[in-house]
Amino acid sequence: MNRPGIILVGALALGVAIFAGSYYTARQATVACCSRPADDLSWLRTEFHLSDADLARIRELHAGYQPKCAAFCAKIAAKQSELDAVLDGGTNSTAEARLKLDELAALRAQCQANMLQHFVAVSQVMPPDQGRRYLAEMKRLTLGHHEQFEHSMSGETGHEQHH
Amino acid sequence: MKENNQASDDPRISALLRQARLAPDLPPRFPQQVWRRIENAAAPATSASWLDAVVNLLLRPKLALAAVALVLLMGGLAGTLEGRQAARHDAQMHYLASVAPAALR
Repeated sequence: MNRPGIILVGALALGVAIFAGSYYTARQATVACCSRPADDLSWLRTEFHLSDADLARIRELHAGYQPKCAAFCAKIAAKQSELDAVLDGGTNSTAEARLKLDELAALRAQCQANMLQHFVAVSQVMPPDQGRRYLAEMKRLTLGHHEQFEHSMSGETGHEQHH
Repeated sequence: MKENNQASDDPRISALLRQARLAPDLPPRFPQQVWRRIENAAAPATSASWLDAVVNLLLRPKLALAAVALVLLMGGLAGTLEGRQAARHDAQMHYLASVAPAALR
């Protein structure tokens, strides 16, 4: 390769190295600065442009909701352990396993209903358009995964489901 | 000397001299070749000269510094945007973990 070619390739390599270095440094610094918030609700404040008054009201709702959520979590975990114990017990426990599955599903449904009720309450504190966006986002994050899973299991696409 | 000048002014001698001068035969397609050489001379820079021009630009200290600054800025900007996205996602997951049990997600 002639001299100008070597210089050009070297300059390009140096450019790529400088870009990669500055990209990585800036990314790490931004993540270190703004990630892992101490406050559970910091995402709500920034994402939905909440006022201090709205956030204070939501904080009350959040504080009231968390013990209920924790109680459901404990019940679900306990029921899951019972189901695991039945399933580990052998192959002749279909009826008991079914009963545990039903109980687990009922607990999850109650927990989901409670969660949705909380989301609705929070959305009502927000300005209307932000509240709608919050509800849609929460539905996508908490129930969307199950819907996708069920659609994939039934072999239907999301578009067909709507017709 | 004067006699010589008179001889060169003589039209008969001039005509004889013109006839005596041999004109060599031109090679085939001579005019086309001439035009091709003219067009090549007027053509834009070749790839080698283009490379030389770029390298010459890169070797100018002011331009090299400006290029380095631009690349630094672009890298920093892209990294900041990506980092903000990652931080936003992290904060979202933090909130979600506080309101939705992992078993339901």
